[in-house]
Amino acid sequence: MRELARPVAAVLLALLCALPAAAACQLRAHERVVLFGAGDDPGVLLWDSRFRLRAYHAASFDEAQDMIARALLVTAGTRAIVIACLPQFVQPRYGLTLDDAVEVRILTGPLHGRSGWVLGSDARR
Amino acid sequence: MFVLLIAVEGAFQTRASIADTFNREAEMQRAQIDLQEMLRLQINEENSLRGFVLTRDPFYVQQYALASAQWAAKETAVHNALVDERLGTALQMLDEYDTVQTRWRREIALPLLTRPRSELVELDKKNKAFVDYQAQTADGVRAILVVTSAALVRSTQDQINRSSYMRAFWLLIFGLLAILFNAYGSRLTRELHEERMVSDVLQEAFRSAHVPVPNCEIGARYLSASARLRVGGDVYDVFLLSEKRALLLIADVSGKGVDAAVLTAFVRFTVRSIALRHVDPGNILTEFNETFGRTVDNPSLFITMLVGVLDCSDGSFTYASAGHDSAYVRRSTSVESLPVTGPLVGVIEATYGTKSVQLAVGDALVLATDGLTEARARSGELLGERAAMDLIGAAPREAQALADYLAVHVRKRSGNRPTDDLALLVVRYAGEDGGDA
Repeated sequence: MRELARPVAAVLLALLCALPAAAACQLRAHERVVLFGAGDDPGVLLWDSRFRLRAYHAASFDEAQDMIARALLVTAGTRAIVIACLPQFVQPRYGLTLDDAVEVRILTGPLHGRSGWVLGSDARR
Repeated sequence: MFVLLIAVEGAFQTRASIADTFNREAEMQRAQIDLQEMLRLQINEENSLRGFVLTRDPFYVQQYALASAQWAAKETAVHNALVDERLGTALQMLDEYDTVQTRWRREIALPLLTRPRSELVELDKKNKAFVDYQAQTADGVRAILVVTSAALVRSTQDQINRSSYMRAFWLLIFGLLAILFNAYGSRLTRELHEERMVSDVLQEAFRSAHVPVPNCEIGARYLSASARLRVGGDVYDVFLLSEKRALLLIADVSGKGVDAAVLTAFVRFTVRSIALRHVDPGNILTEFNETFGRTVDNPSLFITMLVGVLDCSDGSFTYASAGHDSAYVRRSTSVESLPVTGPLVGVIEATYGTKSVQLAVGDALVLATDGLTEARARSGELLGERAAMDLIGAAPREAQALADYLAVHVRKRSGNRPTDDLALLVVRYAGEDGGDA
């Protein structure tokens, strides 16, 4: 799968060049949010490090499988509060747009009190 | 015509090209829909699996198997579309999607179908990784399909625009050519009309003519060997020198057509001019022969001609003949030939003699060119002098009727295609009374 990196990077670069200038972070500190996955699986992965969050989304499938043990799966609908936000920090492997990395503290559910990093698109106001 | 064919052929090619692009664009749209359908079927597989784990109902296994089969069919359809469009990167992404889905079935689905468990936390997390990854690869394929589809739409639009410009261009060229051809045609028509006008004026100027002569009845005919021209190398002329005296002229210039006609005009007016100064026809011819030699450079040109002066008061006719042997006097009971009095004009310097004949009332001078005696039958046989004289003897008495009779005979003999010009001048002496003898 590594051989895909170059052509995919070329496609992404071409697409990204067409995008408008980067915007500011979508969320601000102290904002309360609900975690809800934007993909087909509404569960949200909570990562112990923003770099691991970014690496997971840029990784090949095998790499992602290896990394998954370092994440917690948060049930969709869990409430949280924003601690920090890094604008356009995450570049999905095949996605068209950059995503924010948001640090949150879980307020409800079995993981209440835990902190970690989630994708900006998974944290809804 | 060539330009029109190119334009039509180009329009057909453009139409085929646009139709092809439309088909490709439609295939890209179908591939996007199939890809979306794959994601839906993937979720169906996952939900069927969860349903089975929670209920142990075999119905969910059937649903799972059905969704798996449908997913494979859709994957093949998308794969073929990407191959057709030669989208290598998207193909690699789709293969990766397929690989991950196969691994999901093997690593997540199969263990759960074999040993359903209610504890799914770790499995859910792993499943999340699968689903996220598949969603990403599918997004990548979709992005390429969208870009390709947009490029095809642009290409179609470009082809339509180009086709419109080309059509306008060819129409412009065709229109310009039509205008040019029309202008050229008009110019040719105008030039032709002008030439025709000049030709008509010249023909009128060169045409033989006669004026009424006192005590005489005059008939004349002219047959041209050229179908389009009313003039040729033969000429006759009747010109009043005084109240009583008329100049009669008949001549045959070597050659045919306009060139010969130009020379006949020279003959007519020069002879008239000389005749105003000389009474004797022999002197007229002698001077004309000198003038001709000085004026005309072409040594191959020569003229047979007869110049005579008719005294209208008494019917005496004096003449000089330069090798012109087609001249006759028709009497009441016979036809006589008028002998020549000198050589052809334009050959040598010569002095021409003068002869006289006396016309009785009712007698007619029949002056012709060699078109009469040399009138050729279809077999090639010439009419000859004897037959010509017989013909004159059998002709009607009236001057014009006699001329018409001879002309009709010559035309009929040659099958309506005379090979030589023919000039006929008939002067019938009617005497002081003007009565018929």
